Amino acid sequence: MRPTVEEQLLGTCRVLENVVAPCVADPYARTLLEGLVANLRMLTSALPAVPGFFDSDNRATATLLGQFQAVVAPDLAARIALALRQPEPDATDTRALDRRNSELRELFSQALCGVGLTPAMRGAALEHMSARAARSPMRYVSTATPPNSSPASQSAKAT
Amino acid sequence: MEMRPQAGVTGSAVFAPTPAGRVVAGLEALIIDAIPSARDFSFTGVERSAGGLSRENWSLDASWVAATGAQSCRLMLMRDAAGTLLSTDRKREFAVLKGLEATDVPAPKAHWMDEDGRWLGAPSLVMDRMPGTCDYLVLNGNRPLDARLNLARGFIDLMARIHAVDWRGVGLGAVLDVPTGAPSQVELTHWESEYRRVQLEPHPELDYVLAWMRASAPQAEKIVLVHGDFKPGNALIAGEHPREHISAKLDWETAHLGDPLEDLGWVTNPVRKREHQIADVWERAQIVAAYRKLTGRQVDEAALRWWNVFSCWKLAVIQLTAVSEFVAGRYDRVFQTPSWLYRPMFQMLEQTK
Repeated sequence: MRPTVEEQLLGTCRVLENVVAPCVADPYARTLLEGLVANLRMLTSALPAVPGFFDSDNRATATLLGQFQAVVAPDLAARIALALRQPEPDATDTRALDRRNSELRELFSQALCGVGLTPAMRGAALEHMSARAARSPMRYVSTATPPNSSPASQSAKAT
Repeated sequence: MEMRPQAGVTGSAVFAPTPAGRVVAGLEALIIDAIPSARDFSFTGVERSAGGLSRENWSLDASWVAATGAQSCRLMLMRDAAGTLLSTDRKREFAVLKGLEATDVPAPKAHWMDEDGRWLGAPSLVMDRMPGTCDYLVLNGNRPLDARLNLARGFIDLMARIHAVDWRGVGLGAVLDVPTGAPSQVELTHWESEYRRVQLEPHPELDYVLAWMRASAPQAEKIVLVHGDFKPGNALIAGEHPREHISAKLDWETAHLGDPLEDLGWVTNPVRKREHQIADVWERAQIVAAYRKLTGRQVDEAALRWWNVFSCWKLAVIQLTAVSEFVAGRYDRVFQTPSWLYRPMFQMLEQTK
């Protein structure tokens, strides 16, 4: 399908930078525009990785929940069992994968902050969360005001 | 941009169509409310700064004639934005700035406050625009090492002076909440409330760290005035090398009464080393040693580590606030879930075992 999503996003960045930005004189609007373009570029590379990230994280979270199920409070164990009986969404359906991720992570959070987990389970949970953070495809793109060298820059400081 | 209203004509009638015009019209009305004899206003250099993530920052030069004679001021006007990273109270900030006028802490003189946005459309504060430059990476910039080290020491000296403010003596005990329990628990309760308010999806990572903080919150050695966002990015540097010095500490919107280790924990937070530390010569150990020497406080290492974790966690909540405000259409900058903060927090928790 042409133009591809990536081609459209990159093309939008090009037009914004080459056509729109030179006409934007207001410093505040210019800074925002630069930030938005930088974020579009980040999305261009991140978007293809999102379904795979959710699918992988859902499976890893479900595996851990399956282990936690035996030691958490009975009502939470019942909700985990119910969630684990649900079929995994289609690996290309990003919205369904996102919903499933929220559902599993809510249960994961409750298990982690409750009682019953063994030290080994907590260690595995921490390892899982660290790995997830490292793999998250979405990244904040800094648009902080660069160090200012003008003589009266209380007005230009980045808060 | 120069804006000179006609004599006897209200600013709102002349400038209302543009954002800058509305600010000027509102400011003129605010000044007239405070100084009824003021007339013949002139406003120049009106500009909204590109910086400022939590409020609108407007700089301008104002002059007018009043019964006491001609007046002119270099001003900064901070106006609450529709969407913000920090929900803070202009009245408290105004009181802090007024209180600081009686101390040796360099801060802008506050002139007027529009507490409920009656004149400016949103709560606002007007203060002096101070001389100096703002560089959030000044400690790792182009200046010689000795100059950067002097500034680094100056920042900790300034922190110690803020913490030494006689807050009761300058009237802040009546304006700021005096913590009735451990300030760590008070701050945690406040920021947990913010977290739940802005949370759009589950964050097991933040819940896990929150549970740890609840279980291990330290007591304070003393209750002091805490800046709440102490960093070079909130300060101005004036003077040429080798006489550069900190000319003003800015952004007092998060100032409160609390544990002095909150500010110290913010500047020794490992995720913000580039702002607060200089490799090999001004790292955590040197900063803590300097603070101990200046204040005579013990600085319990476990308590400081707790505040380091809190700093990261609070930063995460502020970023989630930006996410929530952006999704709601009230904030114009795109932030992401702060997953980059999770691993440093987990590592600090491991170090406490």
